[in-house]
Amino acid sequence: MAELCGWAGLVLWVDLTSGKINKIPTAEYEPEKFVGGLGLNTKLFWIRGCPKIAAFDPENPLLVSAGPLTGTVGPFSRGMISSISPQSYPDELFSYSSFGGKWPAQLKYAGYDGLVVTGKASKPVYLSIEDADVQINDATHLWGVDTWATGEALLSKDMEAESLCIGPAAENLSHIAPVMTRTGNTAGQGGFGAVMGSKNLKAICVKGTGTIRIARPDELLRLIKLMAEEKSVGGSDLMPDLRKPLVAKATRDELVQKYRTRFSGCYGCPYQCMATYKVPKLGTGAASCAQWVYGAYDSEDAESIWEANVLMQKLGFENYSIEAILSFLYLCRKEGILTENDFQDLGIPLCKFLGGKASGHEFLTSLLYAMVDGRSIFSNGLPKSIKHFNKEAFQTYRSLYTAHGYSIHHHETVGGALHWALDTRDTSPSAADEMSFMYAPHVAQYFGVVGGESTHNQPENTTYEGNERNVAFSVKHQMLRNSLTWCEWHSNPTSFLKPPEMDIRTLESRAFSAVTGIDNNVEEIWKAGETIWNLRRAVMVKREGRTRKEDMIDDVHFEQETNIATTLPLDFRFGYGVRRGGPLDRDEFEALKSRYYELAGWDVNTGWPTRAKLEELGLKDVADELAGAGKSVE
Amino acid sequence: MELPKSGVLICDDSLCTGCGVCELICSLFHDGLTGPALSSVQVVHNPFTDQVNIYACQQCDSPSCYLACPLPDQALCIDKLTGARYINEDKCTGCELCVDACSFDLPRVRFNMDKSAAFKCDLCRGRETGPACVEYCGYGALRFIPRDER
Repeated sequence: MAELCGWAGLVLWVDLTSGKINKIPTAEYEPEKFVGGLGLNTKLFWIRGCPKIAAFDPENPLLVSAGPLTGTVGPFSRGMISSISPQSYPDELFSYSSFGGKWPAQLKYAGYDGLVVTGKASKPVYLSIEDADVQINDATHLWGVDTWATGEALLSKDMEAESLCIGPAAENLSHIAPVMTRTGNTAGQGGFGAVMGSKNLKAICVKGTGTIRIARPDELLRLIKLMAEEKSVGGSDLMPDLRKPLVAKATRDELVQKYRTRFSGCYGCPYQCMATYKVPKLGTGAASCAQWVYGAYDSEDAESIWEANVLMQKLGFENYSIEAILSFLYLCRKEGILTENDFQDLGIPLCKFLGGKASGHEFLTSLLYAMVDGRSIFSNGLPKSIKHFNKEAFQTYRSLYTAHGYSIHHHETVGGALHWALDTRDTSPSAADEMSFMYAPHVAQYFGVVGGESTHNQPENTTYEGNERNVAFSVKHQMLRNSLTWCEWHSNPTSFLKPPEMDIRTLESRAFSAVTGIDNNVEEIWKAGETIWNLRRAVMVKREGRTRKEDMIDDVHFEQETNIATTLPLDFRFGYGVRRGGPLDRDEFEALKSRYYELAGWDVNTGWPTRAKLEELGLKDVADELAGAGKSVE
Repeated sequence: MELPKSGVLICDDSLCTGCGVCELICSLFHDGLTGPALSSVQVVHNPFTDQVNIYACQQCDSPSCYLACPLPDQALCIDKLTGARYINEDKCTGCELCVDACSFDLPRVRFNMDKSAAFKCDLCRGRETGPACVEYCGYGALRFIPRDER
């Protein structure tokens, strides 16, 4: 048998209730069809029968997978966590979140493509994986310890190892608690930290001394060189911005000059889109993008901005979910919906952006510590707090809300809005294709999709005609890169646009072939993306009763323009999150949805995948199971 | 006995991001594999203190690895062109004396269990454009100094 290239070869199963550990060959899960990462996680969940259990049920599997490219050289060190999500709203959906750093590569070097954790330990534990040696160790001494101190305690003896861990927020089952690495990389969405918390699983340490065999080393070296030489990489265009704090200019310069020590990022990635900041008394860490959310609220106080990030990371809260709460508080105060007394009742001191004199430190610690121990109504995120407020506050909340339990983010294109409607979470961090096309009409034209809508200079946004092609492109690509794994920032269609070789689709197909030795072309590898998307859809249909009706974002977006800028005290310099040209048109949106279903091979009435489509993708067994559940379109 | 001088890799830790591209390129170029365990250049990153260190072979003027090798010029050899002290894995018996002899705390001569042979930086012997790690480092943290300029 030829030696396995790309994949590590095993999936590790750990049951925390029984302490049983199993290793199953990855080959049993059809990696040629489901690739890895998100595809592998979804396949594993499907064969477990997509159980209709709660997120905190011990049998909810925590699935953590890498892909065939992970741990090789390139923007590939991404891991994917899937599980039933406590953050989803109103129902708990099977969802996913990716993270970077070095942990995913280490999992591969230890010999595993994926990890499945089921059950619940009787006391706090951490999982230690060192090559073939897998142990469930006592973590009682770490329970209650923040994520930075936990990482340090677990890794101080061996800086070659990596950890995924949770903070006190996740231990207390906050629905907005992420899973953290030691390097500022976070599986942010989904509340999967709380799934770990519910299992009494404090951390997962991994160290591998193995290597990954590359089928065609010279070809991979050539492709990496091509990518490095390509200056117009979408990521590289963003790079100077992402390596700086996303805050007002004067504060940005201050943070860079006083505290930035170096660029940083994921293992093996040439692009290094983060930077490390060393701030005396507050802490040393890496940051990029969402870590700076507090900068829009307290734009002149460099130390408070950093402290906000450090506190969120240490306690283990997802920054963007906190951002929604900050927006809500700001707007309610500005519009007089919440009075000083209300804030007093909430235990939230009025700091500068709330029109008071409390320091940023006072505000942040009061809010976040109360959230950690469950004293705050915001402990599980904004959507789940809203029942405590009056009607006016509810309207304000709606203006910040999109769907599935997540607040507004990038969905300023019509296609982006439909993509979000179709998924189980906020799709923006995970699918920037629609944005690429929006800002680069010539790129959209090259790929045969709609582009150039809703830019700063082009007020009319509402291109419905043809936008189904954008969504079809974006969802398949999103599945593929989350399965290979390939960083989503560094695989934008605008990246590498020097056809034919530097067409991102060609590059992905060639990198996959160079690593695995499996000859394929763009059509074949994109079919894998479509297959994974259809299996995810089958999970939604079978487990969650998903139909056309649930493929929707909040009504508010059909009533008013999406405009993040109006929700912030500071003018956001990117002007992102703005859909100009008015609210979405309901009839046009529904017609777009129908055209998308037709293009996807799904039934227009129900939104279910048709048997013909599933069989075309080699998913006859899935079609049969859906038929058995009475959810088949023959 | 005076040995010919070698070119050398110069590492600037302050420019290093800890990305490890050099490690992966090294193992990929030499063995067709990726993984820091088989890289001759080693990056140690402590994110808690923001300390990043690159450890590369210093191609010593008086190389203790070479001097310890029971088969000098067969197993541990000196490249005529660059002066690199390199290991001929076909002749290496796997005695590990060179690993033990390396004078650095983190030995720059390492051991490949699968091949039962030692390995170390050979400055990418025979590679026309010089050491691959230098070429692929995007941050200027690695430089190659030819022996004449050392």
